[in-house]
Amino acid sequence: MTVAFYILAAIAVLGAVMAIALRNVVHAVFSVLLFFSALAGLFILLLAEFIAAVQILVYIGSVGILMLFAIMLTTKVTGDPTHNLLSRGWAWGALVAGALLLAFLVPLITQTQSETISKLSNFNPSVKDLGMILMDPYFASMGVIALLLTAGLIAAVVAASSASEE
Amino acid sequence: MEITLNHYLILSAVLFTIGLIGALMRRHIIIMLICLEIMLNAANLNLIAFWHYGPNPIMLHGPLFTLFTIAIAATEAALGLALVLAIYRHFKTVDLEQVQDLKE
Amino acid sequence: MNNFIDYKLIELGQWAVGLFNDYPVVQILVHLLLATLPLALAFMAAFGFSTWLERKGLARIQNRPGPNRVGIFGLLQPLADGIKMLLKEDIVPDRSDKLFHLLAPVMLMVPAFIAIGFLPLGDGLMSLPLDSAILFFFAVGSLNTIAVFMAGWSSRNKYSLLGGMRAVAQMISYEIPLVLSAVTVIMIAGSLSAQEIVASQQIESWLASGNLVKEFFGQILGWHIFKPWGFAGFIFFFVAALAEANRSPFDLPEADSEIIAGHLTEYSGFKYAIFFMAEYISAFAISGIAVTLFLGGWSGPVIAGLPWFIIKIFSLFAVMIWIRGTLPRLRVDQLMGYAWKFLLPLAILNIFVAGFYYFSEQQFGGLTTFIGGWIIGFAILQTAAKGLSRLNKSPTINGKRVYQLVE
Repeated sequence: MTVAFYILAAIAVLGAVMAIALRNVVHAVFSVLLFFSALAGLFILLLAEFIAAVQILVYIGSVGILMLFAIMLTTKVTGDPTHNLLSRGWAWGALVAGALLLAFLVPLITQTQSETISKLSNFNPSVKDLGMILMDPYFASMGVIALLLTAGLIAAVVAASSASEE
Repeated sequence: MEITLNHYLILSAVLFTIGLIGALMRRHIIIMLICLEIMLNAANLNLIAFWHYGPNPIMLHGPLFTLFTIAIAATEAALGLALVLAIYRHFKTVDLEQVQDLKE
Repeated sequence: MNNFIDYKLIELGQWAVGLFNDYPVVQILVHLLLATLPLALAFMAAFGFSTWLERKGLARIQNRPGPNRVGIFGLLQPLADGIKMLLKEDIVPDRSDKLFHLLAPVMLMVPAFIAIGFLPLGDGLMSLPLDSAILFFFAVGSLNTIAVFMAGWSSRNKYSLLGGMRAVAQMISYEIPLVLSAVTVIMIAGSLSAQEIVASQQIESWLASGNLVKEFFGQILGWHIFKPWGFAGFIFFFVAALAEANRSPFDLPEADSEIIAGHLTEYSGFKYAIFFMAEYISAFAISGIAVTLFLGGWSGPVIAGLPWFIIKIFSLFAVMIWIRGTLPRLRVDQLMGYAWKFLLPLAILNIFVAGFYYFSEQQFGGLTTFIGGWIIGFAILQTAAKGLSRLNKSPTINGKRVYQLVE
């Protein structure tokens, strides 16, 4: 369990760092897909297998492919998509901001008492229970999400096809 | 050594910071969207970790909230990428520092 | 008598794990190996046999003998093909992205093998008995798309890229009717777990009745394919599965008369063989899920369990070969129009028909619902299908032709 956590955490951090540091955009997208899969593994470690499956299906299967399509449609086809888009001044400022954020968060986390025993030890969450609470108390939220997804779909289609109306 | 809640929280904080650095540092639109997704995923990890180690995991609030977050993040990524296409059509570049003109 | 082989296999597995009772770590390893290795080896052997079956089947449909020189009836042809692929020179283009060029076949093969683990092969014989197995199957199936894109992109060839993008567009368009037709089954069976879906297709009250005829039919008549929503759902699922596996009539990405070989242009030798193997194994996996969802899994009247499941998978695969030899290929815009404008509305309508059938079964009982539900469900889906196909017809069919002459 401990070994699995450290390996998955290392892969996640590696994927995220490569995603922001690589120059080639397609390589960056593939390393963020690696990050998503490591995160799915962490969700399985935390006994949320339904969320792990949804993570793989939605993030790797849909959002990743969306990003790859957007890269395809916004660069020249056989050109080299490496963009050296790294503003010098911004880089140091961003690193300082990130270091400050970490310096703020990490002591905050480590000074509070941490839970070691998971209360899930004698309860196996099943997908059926998730379905039941989606239907009974939280039906309105599901309806709102459905409306949001429909509106987002229509808006994306309209936004991406705006050139044909000119 | 047992994996406690703090391990997951520190990992989530580190991932969020990496996403934040990337969003501030890069100029390519699609890399900024990627960093946005990294930040949202770090928040999801936080939610599930708190559900797992929390006082009442039977209520399944963690996965429920995460499901909604994943759905909203996917919608936002789709809309963002559609806007990227529209921006590329008009400005012919994906460099965000060149996107400076307002509509004439 | 029915699930004889399943129980024998389970006993064999438990004996093998029990040999290492003194070494718990080794026991875990042996357990894992037993759950995965026989499956992988068996499906690779099945892949070899299925290449022979496909070539012979296609040849006989096209009125020619097929491979018959290598062994008796050409049975050693897969071996000869394997040796040829291994010994071919592995050409990698100079400007290509070497890491992703190497990684793409691996990334296509891994989800295919993971997907096999979610099939319920028999009574208690399942490699990955998860609570949300069907959802995981679709999740790893969506990794195929990334691998195809990686193959098309890394070759740095404009034809590969265009072919790869067309293949990805086809695969993501057909994922939606695939998942929606599986959703009707999940909705009625009430669970995402494969064993429960198979158990929901056995009529329990008939099986326990002791009457031999009722036991015989209780294993068959509960299959989801005999209900109207299940029959329509099976057709949609099968068509979408053909498109997901890039098989004819949707094999636009890899057809020889099309844009060279699409995303497979720059691959030769062993990598091509891995692509080939991954496609066939994912075709097996998806027909396995079709059998689980609609054709009753491993439940059957006389022979049940693992051999019956294998017979069902191979018959679905034979239907795929038959369709490949018979139907012409679709053009890319016809393909996309078919998915979005025809299969998607029908799959959504199927969900409503399934709900209607389920509630009328609770209200009116078995036989009335069977007859009435079939008539009404069939009427709804057939009218919708006819209406949609009339809406989608291009205007030049039965219309006035417009000629563009060269001036």
